[in-house]
Amino acid sequence: IATPGLLLGLLVLSLAPAGAQALTPSHYLSLSDVSRLQNLLSQPFTDLQSAYYSVVGLSKLGGIVPDHQEVCQFLKSQLDPSSVDSLFFAAETSQAISGCEIPVSNETRDILLAAVSEDSSMTQIHRAVGALSSLGLPLASQEVVGALAARINKEDNVMAIILALQTASRLSQQAELGRILEEIEDLTARLDDLGGIYLQFEEGLEATALFVAAAYALSDHVDVEPPLKEKSWDSLAEAFSVASAAAALSNNRFHVPVIVSAQGPATVSHNQPTLQLLVTDVMSQPLTSASVLVESAFAVATKSAILSQTPFTLNDGVFELNFMSSQPASGYYQFTVAVTGDSRLVASHVELKVKVSTEVSVSNMDLSVVDKDQSIGTKTTRVDYPSKAKSPFTADSHQNFAMSFQLVDVNTGQELTPHQTFVRLHNQKTGQEVVFVAEPDSKNLYKFELDAAERKSEFDSMSGTYSLYLIVGDATLENPILWNVADVVLKFVEEEAPAAVQPKTLYVPKPEIQHLFREPEKKPPTVVSNTFTALVLSPFLLLLILWFKLGANISSFSFSPSTILFHVGHAAMLGLMYVYWTHLNMFQTLKYLAIIGGVTFLAGNRMLAQKAVKRYVS
Amino acid sequence: MSNSVLSVISRFLEEYSTTTSTKLKVVDAYLLYILLTGALQFLYCLLVGTFPFNSFLSGFISCVGSFILAVCLRIQINPQNKGDFLSISPERAFADFLFANTVLHLVVMNFIG
Repeated sequence: IATPGLLLGLLVLSLAPAGAQALTPSHYLSLSDVSRLQNLLSQPFTDLQSAYYSVVGLSKLGGIVPDHQEVCQFLKSQLDPSSVDSLFFAAETSQAISGCEIPVSNETRDILLAAVSEDSSMTQIHRAVGALSSLGLPLASQEVVGALAARINKEDNVMAIILALQTASRLSQQAELGRILEEIEDLTARLDDLGGIYLQFEEGLEATALFVAAAYALSDHVDVEPPLKEKSWDSLAEAFSVASAAAALSNNRFHVPVIVSAQGPATVSHNQPTLQLLVTDVMSQPLTSASVLVESAFAVATKSAILSQTPFTLNDGVFELNFMSSQPASGYYQFTVAVTGDSRLVASHVELKVKVSTEVSVSNMDLSVVDKDQSIGTKTTRVDYPSKAKSPFTADSHQNFAMSFQLVDVNTGQELTPHQTFVRLHNQKTGQEVVFVAEPDSKNLYKFELDAAERKSEFDSMSGTYSLYLIVGDATLENPILWNVADVVLKFVEEEAPAAVQPKTLYVPKPEIQHLFREPEKKPPTVVSNTFTALVLSPFLLLLILWFKLGANISSFSFSPSTILFHVGHAAMLGLMYVYWTHLNMFQTLKYLAIIGGVTFLAGNRMLAQKAVKRYVS
Repeated sequence: MSNSVLSVISRFLEEYSTTTSTKLKVVDAYLLYILLTGALQFLYCLLVGTFPFNSFLSGFISCVGSFILAVCLRIQINPQNKGDFLSISPERAFADFLFANTVLHLVVMNFIG
């Protein structure tokens, strides 16, 4: 079987657990899906294989196969009596249409019987058995079961086991099919869990779909409930199936998934007081035999129950309930619906969200301009929806503009507090708009006050005529309101023009930064500097005079080499200091200093040692 | 009052000239020279201005450093302090003085700008 999934079209079937106990198929075939599949299958066929998929697929969907006689002729002309595959397709197709018999010879029968052995592949066994049973030829069921079991041990993959299941459903009910039936449970355990919602074989949609169809077909055949327990159904969260799988789910004796959906939007109002439910199987066929009951219904916002154990009435295939008769307030309600009447029904507990909508009206709309200093003696103006106040209101920075109103349910007269209640001020000249939220007080009376002085920043201090709008909206309101209530002239105090930063100057290059050296201070006159130079040097003269007076002398100067070397080295160091000041850097200086200093140190050491010796001697 | 001050000063000078050795007097004269040089530099700074400031600083630091080193030398070669500097001979003190002066003036020259 190469691509039956594509040829037969896909049925997407999802069994998603809703809550912990109930499970609900979330996708099913609507009538338009079924007709789309039928269109796909009605294409003209080119060979035996496509003829098989088209004809069998159509008949499973309950469609009509056109022109049986022509199909029969096509089958007979294309048949190759020595090929198991060819025989299988022709036999199966002829079975689906009426009045078409495929002639069989003894050789053909022998070929088919020979194919049923544990040496041929699972596909060959399946096709041979299919052809034999469709052609009405006798076959030994027990032998087939033996061959199947042997093949299952050899070809332990999902597709092979599914084929074995399909084959087994063709066999006599007297054969020991229990071994094959056990494979269903084994395969269920091999389903992969996708994201906690979907369950499928890693071999793909087609394998999963064929598995569902084969499991139910075999179970139906041997009259044993498939070992897919409620628990496995919970985890078989979404099975994908081809049309045969959908048919199996709709027409078997054990499990029939129930689809409960609202007719149109799940919304009730005073104009449309009845909640209408469609209760169908996955093929969108109404389950008129079932009875539908509201187990409980409570408001989502307040959690208060409003209905319990109320039956729906069946009316022309649609289950109806007049929900407005229990006078619900507007809002959302959570329904738990139970479908009973048939023990085969799976997913018979359904949760539904139902919206109760209503209409709103604005009443007691009062507008006034109040002086901040004395709030007495204001004149209020009442405006009726949907007309607009005749004269504009004027408010300057010493006044407050005030409005108050109530929102009332047209049908019940109750006060409402919708989610969205806005006051919008729209400047007619500049198009600028400012939106405020109107808040209800404890008595559900909406009050809105505009302090012109305080709010001037939100208006950019733009004086002028503003259109005042009231906006009321909510998901449960059928008539959202946009009402131009009045015109308001706002006068703001003119501020000194704000020093608006010219944005264009932001991106102009800044003037280049020039490094400024410190300005040399004004030099003192040369006379002053020279005088002080002389003054600073003069103590040296004083030193010479003092030394002379004291009788300092160089009489003990000896002309030994070390003494001369020491004095020369010392003079050289002083000279190096001067050269450092004028020419050299620190590193060069240190290098030369190390040389001169070393020599001077050695010479000095020797000289001073001689002096010390001389001193001790004397 | 002024007489007694004068007599104290004259007594001090007399004591100094008689008891202090010539060597120390030579060092004292050197100290006076450095003191006056530094004072005159500071006077210039006060009267004319600090510009160029680094030159002034290096000259003044040179004076202060030299003065301190000379004072150290004087203390070390004073025979009265011999007990405190048993391990340091006058020659050794002079060599240290020269070495310290070399390092000091290396810094001064670096700073003179």
